[in-house]
Amino acid sequence: MGAYHCQVIQQIQIDEHIYRLVLQAHEIAQTAYPGQFVHLRIADQLNPLLRRPFSIHRVLRDKGQIELLYRVIGRGTSLMKQTKPGDSYHLMGPLGKGFVFDGKFTTAIVVAGGMGVAPVFFLIDELLALGKSVIFFWGARCGSELFGVLQWNQSAIEIHLATEDGSQGYHGMVTDPLQTFLNHRSEDASLAGFVCGPRAMLKKIQLLSTRTSFEWQVSLEETMACGVGVCQGCAVMLKNEGFRMVCSDGPVFDLKNVAFDG
Amino acid sequence: MVDLSVKIGNLHLKNPVLMASGTFGYGTEYRDYFDVSLLGGIITKTVTGKMREGNPMPRIVETPCGMLNSIGLANVGVDRFCQEKMPELDHLDTVVIVNVAGSTIEEYSEVVEKMQGYDRVDGFEINISCPNVKKGGLEFGTDPEITETVVSGVRKATDKTILVKLTPNVTDIVTIARASVNGGADGLSLINTVLGMGVDIETRKPHLARIVGGLSGPAIKPIALAKVYQVVKAISIPVIGIGGIMKWEDAVAFFIVGATAIQVGTLNFIEPDGAVKIIQGIERYCEKNGMRSIGELTGSLQKG
Repeated sequence: MGAYHCQVIQQIQIDEHIYRLVLQAHEIAQTAYPGQFVHLRIADQLNPLLRRPFSIHRVLRDKGQIELLYRVIGRGTSLMKQTKPGDSYHLMGPLGKGFVFDGKFTTAIVVAGGMGVAPVFFLIDELLALGKSVIFFWGARCGSELFGVLQWNQSAIEIHLATEDGSQGYHGMVTDPLQTFLNHRSEDASLAGFVCGPRAMLKKIQLLSTRTSFEWQVSLEETMACGVGVCQGCAVMLKNEGFRMVCSDGPVFDLKNVAFDG
Repeated sequence: MVDLSVKIGNLHLKNPVLMASGTFGYGTEYRDYFDVSLLGGIITKTVTGKMREGNPMPRIVETPCGMLNSIGLANVGVDRFCQEKMPELDHLDTVVIVNVAGSTIEEYSEVVEKMQGYDRVDGFEINISCPNVKKGGLEFGTDPEITETVVSGVRKATDKTILVKLTPNVTDIVTIARASVNGGADGLSLINTVLGMGVDIETRKPHLARIVGGLSGPAIKPIALAKVYQVVKAISIPVIGIGGIMKWEDAVAFFIVGATAIQVGTLNFIEPDGAVKIIQGIERYCEKNGMRSIGELTGSLQKG
């Protein structure tokens, strides 16, 4: 980990509110693994004051580049969408403890909801590179937020899409097709689960996961100040360990062990 | 060369820039980002008698030019601090001050007694912003009598340097400053965070789980400068200025007003090596103004 000035290579608008930012970040690209994040200084000014954490969306190791995915929500991301190639950001990273792949699984169930897809592309890239099969469940508000699903070798990945407005894939929550899938495979030791998304989705999947015999990892999102475990602002309650820090103990945790209601 | 060293109690600081409690962990988290030995010193995260889990979430929220926090003094407690954290501090080539808090008057001196024998601890900073459980949650630092009792209790427990960290959330900070001096403080650190609150108008819920919290960052700098000014005029022991220092110009203002040293807090979250740049900036400023030591800058405020 370290702190670097990183030049903007390009910024790609995905739909009305979602952008993909490509940064030259050689050192980070070489060492990052899926589930880790960078802590980005939006601008050299006092408002917005704090850095913003972003999951590493993708790594292009040969080019020394990383990609971040973000939705424009507040003041910080509104400033970000205005950046152009040649501008630069100050980044700390790669930070946190990401996904681990030391289990015996051969097929990964990957579930993303909304902007929870941010770390998932990097995760799928890595899983496929490791020779794992991937079953990818991806839910979003509407079809325009679902992108790039044809880029992977389709023989190694099975994709289930869902949208809340029914404009693409299953009409409803992505947890519905997931539940149907798990009804038949809950004891399948060749599986492992990887999840990132909004809290309501995570709680639902945690419930489903308790009926399965295999492991599930979740990447959590939380407001952060320092990003390195110092300020203790981004606490998460774990069922048998008390508070842990999302930034330095996570952001990836054992899904079954997270106490979502404190 | 400008002599940046300062003396506070028995502490010899190589320069007058310290890392504020709660913003620098136990000194090891930022080792990968810069050379910690360049700092005048670090003040650890608060240590209490027993482990504290900390407050429920959300604990922090950004505000214009600042942030609100309500962490709840989460820490491992003094015994585990001595076993687990103290050895890590051994590697730091700078002054280490341990910030101490308690929920009872006795807890302060008990915690200090347990650490008195460790050579690695150069001094203590007494956090009197903690709510007093026996007095129904009233902060120790809002009552001059309790402040003096706490400080004099700690004074009996240690011959190391004692700093007292003052809250700005009082009617008259000078009264509390005098009480600290009477109790035997060697220096005063001010200000701690300013009581603040944020509300989400869509859900009508407070931004923080504990409803109110402490405001820090550049938003509070003018408040901090005024408090330092008032206290420096009234007492004769060194004052350490804290509050929204983001760049060397901010630090210089605190010295001009009368601070002997300063602490950098919220900046650490944003620019881990920001304090080092501040040290360099102070040195350049003194050089440019023909000062041979930082002492010439302290209290050099001119009449308006």
